[in-house]
Amino acid sequence: MADASAGTRTARGIEVVAERLTRRFGPHVAVDSLDLVIPANTTFGLLGPNGAGKTTFIRMVTGFLLPSSGRVRVGGLSPVEQRRAVCERTGFVMETSRLYPELRVEGFLRFAGGARGLAGKRLAEAVERAMARFGLEAVARRVIGNLSKGYQQRVSLAQAFLHDPPLLIVDEPTGGLDPVQQDEVQTLLAGLAGTRTVLLCTHDLGEARRLSTRAAVLRSGRLVAEGRTGDLLGGADPLALFRPSEARA
Amino acid sequence: MRELAWIGCVAILFGLLSFYATDHLGVFGAVNLAGGGLALVLALAIAARLMRRVAGPHARGVIARGLLGIAVALGLGVACERAAHWSELRTDWTFERRYELSPALAELLHEVPGLRILHFYDPADPRVRRTKLLIDELVRASGAQSVAYDVQSVPDEAERYGVNSSNTIVLQLGDDYEVVERPLEGAIYEAVYRLRKVKSGVIGLLRGEGEGDPERETAQGFGGLAAALATEGYELRSLVTLSLREVPAEIDAILAISPQRQIGERAEDALRRFLARGGALIALLEPGVDSGLETLLGEWGISAPDELVIDPAAGEGLGHEPEGVCPLAYNYETHAITRGLDRNRMTFFCGVRPFDLRKPEVDDELTAVVLSSPRAWRTSDRSRLTRPAPEPEGVERGYQAIAASGRYRRDGVETRIFAVGDSDFASNRYLRSLYNLDLIMNGVHWALARDPQIALRPKIRDTVQFPLPVQNSLELLYGVGLLVPELLLLAGGTLWLRQRAA
Amino acid sequence: MNALRALLRKELASLFGSPTAYLTLMLVALVTALIFFDHLRLYNQILFVYASSNMGGFDTDTIPDYVNLWDTVFFPVMETLGLTLIGAVPLLTMRAFAEERARGTDELLVTTSLSPGQIVVAKFAVAFLFVTAMMAVSFVYPASAIERGGLGAEHLAAVFLGLTLHGIGVASIGLACSAFTSSQLVAAVSGWAVAFVLWDFSWLQPFVGESAARTLELLSLHPRYGSFSEGIVALDNVAYFGALALVSMALARFSFDLRRVGS
Repeated sequence: MADASAGTRTARGIEVVAERLTRRFGPHVAVDSLDLVIPANTTFGLLGPNGAGKTTFIRMVTGFLLPSSGRVRVGGLSPVEQRRAVCERTGFVMETSRLYPELRVEGFLRFAGGARGLAGKRLAEAVERAMARFGLEAVARRVIGNLSKGYQQRVSLAQAFLHDPPLLIVDEPTGGLDPVQQDEVQTLLAGLAGTRTVLLCTHDLGEARRLSTRAAVLRSGRLVAEGRTGDLLGGADPLALFRPSEARA
Repeated sequence: MRELAWIGCVAILFGLLSFYATDHLGVFGAVNLAGGGLALVLALAIAARLMRRVAGPHARGVIARGLLGIAVALGLGVACERAAHWSELRTDWTFERRYELSPALAELLHEVPGLRILHFYDPADPRVRRTKLLIDELVRASGAQSVAYDVQSVPDEAERYGVNSSNTIVLQLGDDYEVVERPLEGAIYEAVYRLRKVKSGVIGLLRGEGEGDPERETAQGFGGLAAALATEGYELRSLVTLSLREVPAEIDAILAISPQRQIGERAEDALRRFLARGGALIALLEPGVDSGLETLLGEWGISAPDELVIDPAAGEGLGHEPEGVCPLAYNYETHAITRGLDRNRMTFFCGVRPFDLRKPEVDDELTAVVLSSPRAWRTSDRSRLTRPAPEPEGVERGYQAIAASGRYRRDGVETRIFAVGDSDFASNRYLRSLYNLDLIMNGVHWALARDPQIALRPKIRDTVQFPLPVQNSLELLYGVGLLVPELLLLAGGTLWLRQRAA
Repeated sequence: MNALRALLRKELASLFGSPTAYLTLMLVALVTALIFFDHLRLYNQILFVYASSNMGGFDTDTIPDYVNLWDTVFFPVMETLGLTLIGAVPLLTMRAFAEERARGTDELLVTTSLSPGQIVVAKFAVAFLFVTAMMAVSFVYPASAIERGGLGAEHLAAVFLGLTLHGIGVASIGLACSAFTSSQLVAAVSGWAVAFVLWDFSWLQPFVGESAARTLELLSLHPRYGSFSEGIVALDNVAYFGALALVSMALARFSFDLRRVGS
């Protein structure tokens, strides 16, 4: 696997700012008046139990969902009105199930790059770089559905990197992976620190500690804690933040 | 909401399936359709209510723009379809241009303003849809009014017009009407012609010396020709040659259909005087007969030697006659009689006598209007009509005149003659074959100087009724019909196996 | 445009890289060939019975008008094929959008430079291409028969065009239904339901007036494609299928807006 820390060291991350951001699904409030600033060039952990609103928040950042009220800004741009511009600055690493299992690795990466506006030589170079960076050269001709989950997650990372985005959103990157695979993926992500903004969405506290410098905890759609990761998760009972009856500002 | 939508879709699907399976909307179908519709309406109402709860200006704007997009697409689609409909742009890609009205019929329809087309049919009749398309074309071409009736539900109307079967058209012009039981374009053409009640002239039919019988409906009879002449406005009168002293003044033309015996000197002289005063003659001859007409024609420059045309290009005749005795003609001189006939519009003859043309006077116009192929030759051996024989050595080949026309201006009158070296082509058996009807009718029209009536008539019989032999069909099935699916399955399976290994 | 091209290539690779596509093509081609052969054999039998020497031969008027290659062979085969398409095409289109939603890959698509409109155009274009390919393989056998019979290819071309447009119409309906659900089963069933509703409104005729019945007939699939089988290529019928595709695309595009709004 190529050294993931290779590549540009120039910090070019962008800031994400949410102001009283709210999203309802019928009577259910998934995100409730969220005020949050994700500084540029940080690896920011977004933590919380299942159903806390993490994925909903991410979807509003990418513009996939519209907020019910409030607003969010990504590098000063609105995902509601300037969705395409936001997408050009964003890379999204999803769960492995969200790939096209019938495509081959190289073909999929070429599609993902093309879908982001890359073409010709630029596309070919971007695909080659991404495959080298994430150790996919040996499996370039393999069908994605036949790969192990670890390799599939590398494919997911690679497609998010093709256009070298200043904001990387990573949603549960190690879900379903074995410990060795988890370590590989976390090492890859660690190599990105400081060069761009990484929004890491996870409910794995160890992963959050290893990768993020700052973090926020959501519970039932609300922000219950926010600060340096070490401070938030360093106490005697870090799980207290995730239980319904306890909250810390 | 989703459950209601699912229930609605399934109920509607099964309601419709029951209708199409039984052709009848029974209780099962009606309940399913009604219930399904209700479920879908409820689902939509719930969805609308949920939408109303969506807060935020962005959402409403996005929804409004989306709905506007659908409305614009619908409006644009409807506008394009209506514009296309009003443009009436359509083409007929059938083999025989079944729905493009022939120029002859299109022209004829303009002469019958106020035409009504009544279509009586049984909805289950498979011929109805084609007739409806034909009626659409007739209405489009003529502005005629059309009315359709389920023949079972209007017994009085059906009886009034004498309609006995489904898919019958009644063409009505004022108080007159014509019933067309097989509404193909040719039959409609003839019916409209009859409605016009045009008087084209009086034709005297020579009788008494074994001529073709215009009242016989058998294959050898000429009832079809008589009917076609009557349709196109000609009155037919019999002239018995035995008692013919003078051709009556009201006779415009004489039609002689292959007399088998001498017509007699008196009749010959009568015909001679008739032609001299500007009468017209249409003569259908046969080889092996000296009826006196041949002499008469010879006086006008159309000599008909007693020979037989053998055209090897023709092959065997339709009635299994020996090869070459039934020429299939596709070479025509430029002439009003053969207007529109060409290499693709052939005429068929059987046992043909050739003509040699020589102008009696300089200003006479003699034309060999129909010619054999250049490989044809002549023989005086009439046994070849029934018995095949090898071609003799060194025979002289060339185009043979099968039909000829003559136009003569003498003493201020004009005489016209149209002669054909065969009469079988106009018999009931062959009249409707290829373009035989057009040839004889146009020849009559030309002889009577009624050139505007010269036309290529739409065909009565549907031509697409020949078989594809089963052996050919089987070969195609194995060679193509099964091979293509086999190749596709091989490709799909190979791909699947490769993907599993990749 | 680059993004759209990339998506088109991906869709083609996904579709034609799947054995299901070949299986569907094979089944439609095989069913067409067998039905066509069966009708052809029956037609020949009927014709020879009428044309036997007892009945007068080919060149007399004893053969009824409706016993001809078009009415006895082609028309029934094309009717059957039209209904087959209603059954088969929604099975093809059900996965177009629904599978993306179920897998979550729609989120991947939407977070690229691709606009929802481009996604819809690409999905529809590839589905239309597949329907055309399906008709082409189905027509190889009938076209060969016609060619051998010397009847002229234009009428067959009209039939092919009509069936292809009909298939595209059904595909449009199926794609629009697929866009509103994440379940392929729901997409297929709703596609069938809508296609059958639009097939022919004769079941409504006892309940509506004459002008309403005429309007409904203008909206129906069957009369529109039926005139192609007669050899008539009318611009308004072509425009109808174009309009159906356009409205279906607009509906599919709207589904993306609904997704963003959610409820």
